[in-house]
Amino acid sequence: MYHVLCLVYPKIAGLRNRVRLRNRSALTKLAIAVVLGLLFWSGIFAVFYRVLVYLKGIEGFGDILAAKLLSMVFLTFFSILIFSNIITALSSFFMSEELQLIISSPLQLQDLYLAKFFETIINSSWMVVLFSLPVFLSYGIAYKQALPYYGVLITTMVPFIIICGAIGICIAIGLTLAFPARRVRDVMVLLFLFVGIGLYCLFRFLQPEKLVDPESFRTVIDYFSALQAPTSPFLPSQWATDTIASFLMPGGNDFLFNFLLLWSTALAVMIIETAVFKKIYFAAWSKSQESTSARLTKNRLFTFIVKRLLSRLAPATRALITKDIYCFFRDSGQWSQLFILSAIIVIYLYNFSVLPMEKSPFPTIYLQNIIAFLNLGLAGFTLAAVAVRFAFPAISIEGESFWIIKSSPMQLRSFIWCKFWMNFTFLLMLAESLILCSNYLLRVDGFMLIVSSITIALMTFGITSLSIGCGAVYPRFDVENKAQIPTGFGGLMYMILAVLFIGVIVVLEAGPVYTVLMSRFRGASLTAVQWIQIIASGAAVVVINALVFYLPMRTGIRRLSAFENF
Amino acid sequence: MIRLIHLSKQYNSLVAVNDVSLEVFSGEIFGFLGPNGAGKTTTIRMIAGLLKPTSGSIVIDQWDLSQHPVEAKRITGFIPDRPFIYGKLTGREFLRFIGGLYSLPPDQTEERIRQFLDLFNLESWGDELVEGFSHGMKQRLVMASALIHRPRVIIVDEPMVGLDPAGAKLVKRIFKGLCRSGVTIFMSTHTLEIAEEMCDRIGIIQEGKLIAVGTMKELRESSGTEGKKLESIFFKLTGEEEMTEVIEALRF
Repeated sequence: MYHVLCLVYPKIAGLRNRVRLRNRSALTKLAIAVVLGLLFWSGIFAVFYRVLVYLKGIEGFGDILAAKLLSMVFLTFFSILIFSNIITALSSFFMSEELQLIISSPLQLQDLYLAKFFETIINSSWMVVLFSLPVFLSYGIAYKQALPYYGVLITTMVPFIIICGAIGICIAIGLTLAFPARRVRDVMVLLFLFVGIGLYCLFRFLQPEKLVDPESFRTVIDYFSALQAPTSPFLPSQWATDTIASFLMPGGNDFLFNFLLLWSTALAVMIIETAVFKKIYFAAWSKSQESTSARLTKNRLFTFIVKRLLSRLAPATRALITKDIYCFFRDSGQWSQLFILSAIIVIYLYNFSVLPMEKSPFPTIYLQNIIAFLNLGLAGFTLAAVAVRFAFPAISIEGESFWIIKSSPMQLRSFIWCKFWMNFTFLLMLAESLILCSNYLLRVDGFMLIVSSITIALMTFGITSLSIGCGAVYPRFDVENKAQIPTGFGGLMYMILAVLFIGVIVVLEAGPVYTVLMSRFRGASLTAVQWIQIIASGAAVVVINALVFYLPMRTGIRRLSAFENF
Repeated sequence: MIRLIHLSKQYNSLVAVNDVSLEVFSGEIFGFLGPNGAGKTTTIRMIAGLLKPTSGSIVIDQWDLSQHPVEAKRITGFIPDRPFIYGKLTGREFLRFIGGLYSLPPDQTEERIRQFLDLFNLESWGDELVEGFSHGMKQRLVMASALIHRPRVIIVDEPMVGLDPAGAKLVKRIFKGLCRSGVTIFMSTHTLEIAEEMCDRIGIIQEGKLIAVGTMKELRESSGTEGKKLESIFFKLTGEEEMTEVIEALRF
């Protein structure tokens, strides 16, 4: 146990030092993150509490539905925790830099296993646990529970998390034995994306909007079948559900059985895994050190297209873009996000094709145009979400190789603008495709098509500038996994600013658009006052867009030029 | 060729480089020595344009680095102590990228890539991803990248770290050859034998201050260590003579 503590010590000391050495700016960042976290936390609590209070009021079915909801919550946590543990275990057991030192030391493998086991489950579970608290708190309050409930909750969550961790680590080691660790991460990222996108599409294609349409369900039984969540007595998530539910709800008699089942399984998997780990870990570690080969190098068509597309650019710009394209398509952490993007577009457009506008009590033309206008906000938000994954990391993606750019004759201004135009081109194509296709599906008229197309084009300038600018103000050159770049404070700040920007533009345009639509609907011409309002709003939109285009880029260039911590 | 004029760098309360003034002449190999934390890497990173001096200036050829960074960087090649390079590029693609950054014509870039991959014994690795390279191979690739635009000034931080004996020998030969053709080399190193063997002049920095500059002969005279090797001069100047006692105390 002494060696386990030795291995855990650097993590604790590092954390303590990070807390101790926080400066004012770090404290501000922490305060903003805590406030936003609390808001989100409160939101989850409010939603769950309202749902549970509502469910409790349903005579006969309330507790069943509440237990069903709990089972879905645990099943979700179970899936997230296993996946998160696999990804974290790949890093902590195979790719962490300290392993070279640890493995070369005379350390027992079971000590390494235990230390890394706890590191893995803490790193991959803390956030899930944190955001599960409002859910469980809402159950506690809705069912008027006292302190013993929280004791049961903690003693249920501990073995549940241990089991998820053990399963995740076991899968990670097994995969590493079959493939090199770097390739495993590729496989996992893809697997997760396909499963995630598949589930999302499945959920979306079930058309949950039909739940509010009473004609869709003929009987109560149909309704229950629609809500049916997959359950299995062999899943630890079900044991955890049954432990909590039987404690919370009257008539529960499986509490002790499920509670002991969780604990005995948790202890058993740890003991078995320690023994297996000692036998196979070194072989898996050794295999994880293999490297991958270069994709695209010999693909002449790809090389030809890239060369032709960039042939008119300045040599330094061409070199930078070519490098970014090659790095993007060779890093699964980056290109696999294109799948998310494709899913977002498909779902986005699908939503418009199934809108039941003919059932609306409002005239179709009126509704079409209103939805088309609201679509601007939605498209802007989608664009902001895409930009946080692709444009925001554009600076940080240089990683520890940033010294090459900084010591080269390429000016930082040119470097950042090059990143801007590269991402702008891509985002503009996406934005216009979303707007044009959704407007086509909505069959809106020319006026709204022009307003939407121009607004989204202007917003793309602002969103790209915000993402590149924030990325330059908050660079994360030391992040090993590129997909983690947007998850920092800078990414959060960017999303807040982007949403604010989109909201302001939509609000500013709402008045004039409504005025024009109503006047056309009524067949009346616009008054002089209305024209003034429209022009003033239009001018405000242009000014705000210009400021949001200019200021983030200027700040980004200035801050990155002064940045020396790489 | 390189002039440091009252150069200082301060990190909060820590003065890493304190009023350093120095001139390195064209075609000279200048060795920059000092104990750990003396300010060598900070000075080197300022000359390479990676850090902004708190005060003072750096002039490369006739270009003031703060006023004309692009012109100064165009004639400079930088080799850092840790070769962080894009792991997802192949060796050849990385050199092509550097050629682009320095605006070399594509034909010339390809010709020089062939030449340097061959020179640094990397030709068979040219189409492999850099992430699969050993530390020494990455270091050789970085050296090739620093030379590809034919710089007139080379800034090197610990050139021999990670290199095998053949690599180290090759680098020494290349540096001496470049020096003969008029290239100026500013090199920091902890390997005193290399500094003694290769450098025309040596500067010693301690606690951010330049405490001695000169040829080996001048350093011997100023430190009163006639006939001694650079190691003795270094310890005498940096006040670390008691090192021998420590080493004796550590004998088992």
